[in-house]
Amino acid sequence: MPTVRLRDASEYPEPARRLFELSKAWFGYDFKAPPAMSRVMAWDPHFGGPHGRAMKRAMAPGEFTRGEKEMVAAVVSGANACTY
Amino acid sequence: MEGDAPWYEAAFVVGVTNALNVAADGLAAALPPLDDLAAGPEAAAVFADVRAFYGASDVPEPLRVIARDPAYLADVWGAVKRAFADRRLTRRHKEALAFAVSLTTRSAFGLRFHLGELRRLGVSERGVMEVVGVAQMFSSYTKIADSLQLQSDMADIAPVDTSGVPEAGDG
Repeated sequence: MPTVRLRDASEYPEPARRLFELSKAWFGYDFKAPPAMSRVMAWDPHFGGPHGRAMKRAMAPGEFTRGEKEMVAAVVSGANACTY
Repeated sequence: MEGDAPWYEAAFVVGVTNALNVAADGLAAALPPLDDLAAGPEAAAVFADVRAFYGASDVPEPLRVIARDPAYLADVWGAVKRAFADRRLTRRHKEALAFAVSLTTRSAFGLRFHLGELRRLGVSERGVMEVVGVAQMFSSYTKIADSLQLQSDMADIAPVDTSGVPEAGDG
């Protein structure tokens, strides 16, 4: 159970709702509701904005593919004992 | 990266990476690594295979630490060599996974060793920074998720792999 109430997408201002649409494209999946982390990051755009851009920069294809990087992210999450 | 096979391979890499890291970071100071002469002929034969696999004259510390039991060394090395071999995942990708895990678990040995392997396999500083970036950002996301006790909304969207268990030696 989250320690905060995750707001419904409709409770966010319009710019954040546009970002939720972009996150569907990023994940290539039509979520019924924006992912919990997207909603958390949209709580404070001055934090979530640069954090999200750093993530997208790190995950962009380069010497390693996006798929290879997703697996790196998964093992890092595992090493951090995080199930999210 | 379809199916479960790549994920099994990745998990095995993570497992043996941690196994080597704990022996190097935790044990090496108390049980000094053995050289070929001190380790004896059985362990030295394993060392020769290790050198060939890494194309290096040195043998990683944790393997020299556990050479006190040559039969155990041989089995551990068998698992490490299998885990890091080019299969569904490339050896280069596996070294990136091992480097990221070592960074996340703060293993001084693992960081140094797998960074060296990444470079030896042709990964540039830019490529290394890509792995650092992913490890750093997902170390952030995971702690934010844990702090707020978020539940995964992606755990059930991956397709189920209904294929059977492969023959030993396949892919």
